[in-house]
Amino acid sequence: MKESKLGDFEETILLLVGILNNEAYAFKIAEEFETQTKRPVSIGAVHSTLSRIEDKGFLTSEMEAGSAERGGRRKRIYTITAAGQRALEISRELKMTLWNQFPAFAEGKLNFVLG
Amino acid sequence: MKNSKPPKLAEKFLLLFLKRELAEEVLGDLDEKFYWTIEKKSLRRAKLNYWYQVFNYLRPFAFKFFKSNSIIPTMIKQNFKISYRVLIKNKVFSAINIGGLAMGMSLAILIGLWTHDELTFNQYHENYDKIVQVLRKDVDDGEIKVNSSLVSKLGQHLEQSFPTLFENVVITFYRNRTLVLTVGKQSLERLGYFFSQDAPEMLSLEMVAGQASLKNKDGLLLSESLAKTLFQDKNPIGEFVQINTSVELIVNGVYKDLPLNSTFGDMEYMLSMELIYNEESPPTWDNYNTKIYAKLNEGINYQEASALIKNELNKNVDYDEPIDLLLLPMKEWHLHGEFEDGAQVASSRMIFVKLYVVIGVFVLLLACINFMNLNTARYQLRGKEVGIRKTVGSRRRQLISQFLVESILYASVSFVLTILIVWVILPWFNGISDKDLSMPWGDPLFWLAGIFFTLFSALIAGSYPAFFLSSFSPLKALIGSIKQGKSNIRLRQSLVVFQFAISILLMIGTLTVHQQIQYSKARPVGYDQSDLITVRGRSGEYYKKFDLLRDEILRTGYVEEMASANYPLMNTLGNNDGFRLEGQEKSYPISFNTIYVTPEYGKTTKWELTAGRDFTRVDGDESQNVIISESAAEQMGLENPVGKRLVAREGFGWESRGRTYNIIGVVKDMIKGSPYESPRPLMLFSSESEGYAFIRMKKEASYVEAIPAIQEAFQEILPGHPFNYEFVDDQYARKFRDEEKIGSLATFFSVLAILISCLGLFGLSAFVVEQRTKEIGIRKVLGASLPTLWRLLSKDFTLLVLIACLIAIPVSTALLNGWLENYEYRIEITWWMYVSAAVGGLFIALFTVSYHSLKASLGNPVDALRSE
Repeated sequence: MKESKLGDFEETILLLVGILNNEAYAFKIAEEFETQTKRPVSIGAVHSTLSRIEDKGFLTSEMEAGSAERGGRRKRIYTITAAGQRALEISRELKMTLWNQFPAFAEGKLNFVLG
Repeated sequence: MKNSKPPKLAEKFLLLFLKRELAEEVLGDLDEKFYWTIEKKSLRRAKLNYWYQVFNYLRPFAFKFFKSNSIIPTMIKQNFKISYRVLIKNKVFSAINIGGLAMGMSLAILIGLWTHDELTFNQYHENYDKIVQVLRKDVDDGEIKVNSSLVSKLGQHLEQSFPTLFENVVITFYRNRTLVLTVGKQSLERLGYFFSQDAPEMLSLEMVAGQASLKNKDGLLLSESLAKTLFQDKNPIGEFVQINTSVELIVNGVYKDLPLNSTFGDMEYMLSMELIYNEESPPTWDNYNTKIYAKLNEGINYQEASALIKNELNKNVDYDEPIDLLLLPMKEWHLHGEFEDGAQVASSRMIFVKLYVVIGVFVLLLACINFMNLNTARYQLRGKEVGIRKTVGSRRRQLISQFLVESILYASVSFVLTILIVWVILPWFNGISDKDLSMPWGDPLFWLAGIFFTLFSALIAGSYPAFFLSSFSPLKALIGSIKQGKSNIRLRQSLVVFQFAISILLMIGTLTVHQQIQYSKARPVGYDQSDLITVRGRSGEYYKKFDLLRDEILRTGYVEEMASANYPLMNTLGNNDGFRLEGQEKSYPISFNTIYVTPEYGKTTKWELTAGRDFTRVDGDESQNVIISESAAEQMGLENPVGKRLVAREGFGWESRGRTYNIIGVVKDMIKGSPYESPRPLMLFSSESEGYAFIRMKKEASYVEAIPAIQEAFQEILPGHPFNYEFVDDQYARKFRDEEKIGSLATFFSVLAILISCLGLFGLSAFVVEQRTKEIGIRKVLGASLPTLWRLLSKDFTLLVLIACLIAIPVSTALLNGWLENYEYRIEITWWMYVSAAVGGLFIALFTVSYHSLKASLGNPVDALRSE
């Protein structure tokens, strides 16, 4: 049986694939990751994660024609599968239930703590 | 930017391991990243980043041989498993093997880091390529000398006259001294640099807080660490700091500490040169007390600029002999900043860089040789394994990969161990080498070199068994007729000789360095250093109250005598020429070290008077008298100097007319300068009170009681004056620091080299004994005695070590004599050093070999004969 849990980094990558929509290929995802999180990441790391998520069945991919700046080479565009969508929802629901049980947050006092 | 392409080599490397089906998309992505980086940053960054990205594709998912339908992953796994079992089975052997290589690699890495640090000296400064120092070249005694001390006016003059050459010119003192900084009740004595206002920008100080500005003359810039000591967590900007209990300065900014590998690495704060030179006291053309640095304008070549300013001093000052100026660029200050007879030469530092690199390469070579030697030796015992594997149907390629994987595993373990060792001993190494090195964890080049080297030694070590053993027919391999050829033995023997030659060489070297240090430490200094402390007087009060202070300190009862002089006992500053004997026309052609001392100086330092008398207080005026040292008397050519009269040149001792002095005494030479050089001829004049106080404690006084009592007396008379005492023998011991550093590094190197050689010998003897187990058994049965067997097994190695001695001795003689020539006061290398190194080497070698030969000789012959 294939593992079907979603790690933290995997989840972020999966979300980025969703955000980037038609432009979701390794280089763009890595760029987006860096701008959104301000953390450096290598394309290789992203690529390896993408292929792992794909193995789990949360992503599919297809090769598409490439532009001039990549020497006309094709690129692999990733799209989220239905299973991927579910996995993201489950993860979000779990976090929301946890957040709601967190008293400071439930009572709206958390701003003070963060501030 | 169209012609800039991603690095070809990186691309090739990527395709080497990358799965073919991934190639297109990955190359595309990396290209995009590459051009994106060029646009956002720079071509250099883009190339570096490309490499970085390629290395980050070294992941299982992208590897070629992880193809799912291939048998290779299983095989590699199998190879690893077998290798691991072999490693565990021969624990001692593996440990020797891995440990030896790790030691060699550690040393190589340490030396690599050290060398890198030396070669990047001053590169911290962003204007590294543009900063130059102004030097002067003058003729002294027919010898061309290059000096960095220049007149204070020259800086301003150059800046105003050559705006096209220099963006700015700054001056600092030739010798910046420590000053006392006071904040509130806290007083510290620290080293700061006086600088003109453009210096913070020129040296690209990295500001942590405030402004990098010395525009106001009472401005002060603190280093981060000093700011922390003075102000703890308070914001220091705008705070006041009192300097030498007189001037109040305002903290303008706090900069990041300069690294130790900068010429200005010892600067703890920067203050304005305008405090010294300003409208009221303008800089002059006659006082050689400053160093001058300049920043060249964009596109200006330092050699051209050098030629243009060459005559600036001669134009403004009238000299007997012209003094030329020249510029020395920052990149040459550290390793090429010395001059011999006017020509630029590599500095003594550079000699060490080269020496260490050579040693590093040699030790690394030793370790590699060992690694290969031991592995090869051991693989010979595995002929049977090869035979069986072949019979069962193993292909040659598979055997090769088995052996290669095995040696790669060994080398990789050593590499990991190396990193660990280096990480652990780096702080200690920093201590003895006076460096601030750190592990370059984030440097891809470091890892690349490390991995390359690991693989390289693994391949060399593994190639013999991999290609040679695997070529045998299974039958031959099984009956065990794989015998090592003559050439193979020769090779192995010469390796042992080579290793021991280097070890013995290093042993002789270490002995010599230590002898030289001991010898110069034991050199008579001409006075008594024990129980002697020194304090520096800094305020006007101190000078006025010196007699009072002396009385008060003597009253404590712990003190025998107290005196002061205008220079410390630790240097030969204060030199004057132009003395002549009364009645003669010509003055002596040399300069003398002239210092002023109070009358009790002799009794305090306990110098040795060989003729005449000491200064006294009772005899009244001593100001017309002088005491000279033996070497001074010799230089003057005086047999009986006492009673002779010397005439000083005009201007000496602030007298417009040359004054006449009576020589009243002669003392033994005092070693005040380098303990390795001949003493400077010394003249001592009498004075009332001077800056450096010396206090001789009574022999029976205990420091624990005496020093607080002295301090109390000191502060009673001079409240608020810092009492920063130092023991004179400690100060003197510091003169040996450089040599002691060389000594401890040499010890470190030779211990490592010997250890590595021993490990090699230990492993080799184990192997030899193992091969001769049966022979030993039979000999024993036939009645051979223990000593006979021991001699049999050890004599080969003894011969090898003796040959090594024969090689090491002439080489070390040549090298060490070269080193010793740097010292005027030096030892001769004597025969006993060679003998002890040779005997030491032989003893160590025999000791190592004996472990195995004795073990084999003591064993039961039945076991030996039964063994298969």
